[in-house]
Amino acid sequence: MIQNNEILDIVKQFIFKELAPDLKPNELDPNQPLLESGIIDSFGIMTLLSFIEDRFKLKLRADDLIPENFETVSAIANLISKGL
Amino acid sequence: MDFSITEQQRELQKAIIEFAQKELNQDVILRDKQSTFPLDLWQKCAQMDLMALPFPEKYGGCGMDFFTTVLSIEALASSCKDAGLVHAIITQLVSGLLLNLFGNEEQKTKYLIPVARGQKIAAQAVTEAEAGSDVFSLRTRAERRNGTYAIEGSKIFISNGSIANFVFVLALTNPAKKTLGSHSFFIVEKGQKGFDSGKPIEKMGLRTLQNSELVFDGCIIPAANLVGKEGQGAVIFHEIMEWERILFGACHVGTMMRITEAGVNQARKRRQFGQPIGKFQSISEKIARMKMSGELARLMVYKAAVLKDERKRAALEASIIKVFAGESLKEACMDALQIHGAFGYMTEAEVERDLRDSVASTIYSGTSEINTLIIARLLGL
Repeated sequence: MIQNNEILDIVKQFIFKELAPDLKPNELDPNQPLLESGIIDSFGIMTLLSFIEDRFKLKLRADDLIPENFETVSAIANLISKGL
Repeated sequence: MDFSITEQQRELQKAIIEFAQKELNQDVILRDKQSTFPLDLWQKCAQMDLMALPFPEKYGGCGMDFFTTVLSIEALASSCKDAGLVHAIITQLVSGLLLNLFGNEEQKTKYLIPVARGQKIAAQAVTEAEAGSDVFSLRTRAERRNGTYAIEGSKIFISNGSIANFVFVLALTNPAKKTLGSHSFFIVEKGQKGFDSGKPIEKMGLRTLQNSELVFDGCIIPAANLVGKEGQGAVIFHEIMEWERILFGACHVGTMMRITEAGVNQARKRRQFGQPIGKFQSISEKIARMKMSGELARLMVYKAAVLKDERKRAALEASIIKVFAGESLKEACMDALQIHGAFGYMTEAEVERDLRDSVASTIYSGTSEINTLIIARLLGL
């Protein structure tokens, strides 16, 4: 079973690589707001959803697709943990 | 990935083609000229279950998968010459999909059943004068007040807008947020105080489709009309755009197949300098390109439909379809007119109407430019 901190790392790596390549690893705190800071925008969320579903073999439900579940890296990791 | 078409699906396509050729193609020139919506034909399409295909039987649907729905829309567009009517049906299907995916049980019972049966007409109202694909620029507001929402603002170019019995409105619910959670979808019924739809706007093509302005001036709706959760609007919008772009892609494939067949017939029949014009390379090359585009777009549409049936994301595929099928259709219609020569330029030939109808295919559901941008963004650029 994959641990929560591993999930956090995987999500952070994805954000660094695909969504915010200019960001340095030490600049992303797990509780930092991703949406309000503009790290994830409207298009970025769709990229992230595809990644989560492919990487973790999850099918997110409509109820899961609320902004609160994507506010921070921690929130995203919690959403993934719940679905696994 | 399996794209094989079953015997049952082929029979359904055949039945739709026969129905459309028999019932839907009379007086299209007149309807186009007068920009009238054919309500009687809409009802016939509803009786054919064309608006019910992908929805569960308990909500008045046929319980079919999305791939079968896409095959049906392709068949309809390949045989129905009234592109505005096909467009109106797709708008109805997308409204139903939005409800089926994000609506609650009460909303589905109240609204999805009449959508699937075609008894009520639905529309989605997203576009505003200052905001199209850039949903974060939308200005229409929905403010929560004691168990209700007060909607203020206006929408423009809304397909089915003037004839819709209810509309799914995307509005700003949390302007302070300016992020993903700032918008929400609401159901607003016709006749609601403070809600008015303007007259249909005259257009270059798709003239039987009714596009209009919608105005919300002190429009108070029950909080129960919120679709999904507050702040979920942008996510719903992006999800629903995938389904919509695939359906329009299927429609474009069907139309390309129809005009390719007409082009082949014309190129065989019309003779110049002692031989059919299809023997001239400059003509045959145009038709070969039409065929290639239609077949390639079809593969992408089928792939994306299967992905949606597997409940997977298909944002990339949907945008590729929208750009490729839309641009290909426009080019194919221009070539078709050239192949038909002076006769094609005449209204009677019904080729110039296909061209006028095709022009908006690179504009609605995200312009080619915005969809190309989405493709690039999804590649990490």
